[in-house]
Amino acid sequence: MLIVRHLRKLNAPQRLQLNVDQTRRALSDANLQYDKDPQPLFTDAETQRLLQSMTQLQLEKVFRKRTVADNSTETKFMTTAQLEKEFLLTIEKAKKLLQMPPVVQIKPDTERVISKDPALKDFDDSKYVFTDISFGLRPSERKVVVRDVDGTLSYAPLETQKRMNQLYFPLDGRKSYTPRMFSDKELLQRCLDEHKYEFVLDRLTVQYEPYETEFHNISAKVFTHLNESKQFDLLRSTRHFGPMAFFYAWHRCIDDLLYDMIRRDYLYNAVQLIALSYKIHKVPVEYGQTLSQLEALQPTPAERALEELRSCLQKPSEKGIEKEIHAAIGKTEQDFTADELSLKFIEQYIGSEHALKKVQLELAVQTLKELNLEKLQLFKGLKKAHGVQAS
Amino acid sequence: MAKLWLMPFMMSNWRASAPQLAYYANAVRTPSAVVFTRNTSFFNKLPAEDIWRGVTAVSNAGKKRGRGKGTGKKVAKDLNRGQTIGLGKSNCIWPGLNAPIIRGNELTHQQKQSENLDREKSIISLRDSMSNFKLMKLNPIDRGWSGSKMPGRSIGPPDAVGEENFNLFDTRVLENKIVFIMKGNMGRKRRYSVLSVTGNKSGLAGFATAKAPEVRTALRKSKNRAGQKLISIDLYENRTVNHDFYTAFGKTKIFVFKKPEGHGLVCHRAIQTICKVIGIQDLYAKIEGSTNLQHIVKAFFIGLMRQKSYEDIANETKLHIVERQMAKNGFTEIKASPLQDLKISENDQIIDFMQFTLGNKIVLRKKKTPPYYVNTKGHYLFECKAEKFRNQSIVRLHKLVNSYT
Repeated sequence: MLIVRHLRKLNAPQRLQLNVDQTRRALSDANLQYDKDPQPLFTDAETQRLLQSMTQLQLEKVFRKRTVADNSTETKFMTTAQLEKEFLLTIEKAKKLLQMPPVVQIKPDTERVISKDPALKDFDDSKYVFTDISFGLRPSERKVVVRDVDGTLSYAPLETQKRMNQLYFPLDGRKSYTPRMFSDKELLQRCLDEHKYEFVLDRLTVQYEPYETEFHNISAKVFTHLNESKQFDLLRSTRHFGPMAFFYAWHRCIDDLLYDMIRRDYLYNAVQLIALSYKIHKVPVEYGQTLSQLEALQPTPAERALEELRSCLQKPSEKGIEKEIHAAIGKTEQDFTADELSLKFIEQYIGSEHALKKVQLELAVQTLKELNLEKLQLFKGLKKAHGVQAS
Repeated sequence: MAKLWLMPFMMSNWRASAPQLAYYANAVRTPSAVVFTRNTSFFNKLPAEDIWRGVTAVSNAGKKRGRGKGTGKKVAKDLNRGQTIGLGKSNCIWPGLNAPIIRGNELTHQQKQSENLDREKSIISLRDSMSNFKLMKLNPIDRGWSGSKMPGRSIGPPDAVGEENFNLFDTRVLENKIVFIMKGNMGRKRRYSVLSVTGNKSGLAGFATAKAPEVRTALRKSKNRAGQKLISIDLYENRTVNHDFYTAFGKTKIFVFKKPEGHGLVCHRAIQTICKVIGIQDLYAKIEGSTNLQHIVKAFFIGLMRQKSYEDIANETKLHIVERQMAKNGFTEIKASPLQDLKISENDQIIDFMQFTLGNKIVLRKKKTPPYYVNTKGHYLFECKAEKFRNQSIVRLHKLVNSYT
């Protein structure tokens, strides 16, 4: 007995420590919920434009090869006019593929009683669910009511409603049970550790509605894990990049993403991210002017992608020397001007009290500046050598 | 002991019963009645070999008519194998026969020992193993189209010519048959004709037929000749043909279709073998008309050689060639562009790519005749009963995969 008591004493502090850790982790998870309705801010036109621009549109990533049942190919003849039309369609398709899942508040499940009929009490020993299965209704419009054993007729809870919808009008890919990936924490953790973020988020979007608690919890978990592993490039040019950036901006942890953007020379996106964060937290900094200036200098992702598609049609002889210089260096004169503007704005942010990882960010900015300077010199040298007039 | 050749159906107790017969013969010979016995018979006049041949072999005339193709497979059993003098059913010591007469200072006596039960069994199993006709053992990987027959089998790379060697090549036999010609002094002369194809699995291949009086020489000749007739073939992504095409030789017509990765070779076995040797992995081919093997091979090679590159087709038609990939969500990729654009009005219809490459030919798609029972009442009832289980296997699989423990 004595020994046992002794052992218990020894274990007690450890157990206490464990409890503390658990509560802390739970707290940190709980902290990353949207405290008020994010929907008005998210669906705002300006926010959407910022998020879409940050997502970018890399055609080879949007239309990358996937494992599908039908991997056939179709070869066709096309005239140049038809090709032009096809390019526009491709861009439209890409835009559709990059549509962001909405960020909305968790929908509370309230009980709505239609009528109480005590006369029907004990009519059976189980509940009856009635579903309106008329064709063409939206899942949210579809009426599902439940007659309880005690005779109460009420609207079905959200969970039942979803299940009935899935039963009569199955959504492709959605399961009527919770996939083990989402019910088993270990399995989800394994997916995250293997950096399968897009896969998890895609399946999450199919399985759950954006207003469900699980959707919020799991997406928060994925984004937190992603912020630690810093593999942001995996989600770039996918439909989940926007909600991710919005999530970081809302919870004031944009610095890692910002660092990644600066390191990859996506300065325009970095400015947009900072502007988004200012907008969400209503920081009194004037960002509109910088943004509009930059917007005038740089094409939108869709325009850039279209340009890329059209360049396939051009014959090598048609391309000018300026384009060749652009291809060699990767930047045009406009880009250099835009970079200057963006760097100014970013440095201003780093100097303010909002930035948390100042040293790291400053270092990244310095490195980029040096690189840019070298490129500018090379650009000027090349222009001079080819006799192109400097503007 | 004399060596006897006996038929397999004559059992081992033949020799054992011989002395017994003699014993009965002695007993029967009584002074009152004289029994005539004829001691010469068919069995003791001829040697065993002749008897055996008389039973199993076919006459020369019969052979010409194609009789007795399986002769020679059955071999007579040597019943003496596994037996030694002095050792028999009852395990006895016979002094002077299987043991020395004097051991040390003592005289050995006839003595019975414990019975050896395994002896009989081991002899029988030995005899069984003798009779079985052994098929040529072939590794499953080395097998051709059918059994141990030559067509479809690999016969290695062609022999080196000077310093040129065919290291990466592999040759496969496509046809191996006997052909006859009439000679002035020899009459009907038999030879073996072999058609084989050789290739390096990356677009270089050749085929040739050769005839020789021996199979082995014919194989070698055709292999080496194929190595001398190599043709370079354009492959798409190193795995399939450039485009669909139609090709014909004699009465053989072949429609060949380009297929996506992972489709495999869905075609006549000869075309399959040729594709493997060339390095084509994905293809569908439909043969219409005659399936004469030599014609198939020739038609397929002609078709491969007549393939055009995308640039050539684009310049010929003055149209862009694009490829839409379903695995890439329907993304269209430009494969080739013409040097000058085609001027067409709105109403002009541009031709279909497949129609162009197949040369306006259309594959004959025969309508499948439904089986006789489709319109019967029994089949209707069966379908009604089976309908509710149509999804069962999938549901079961899903349950198995997602079982909660």
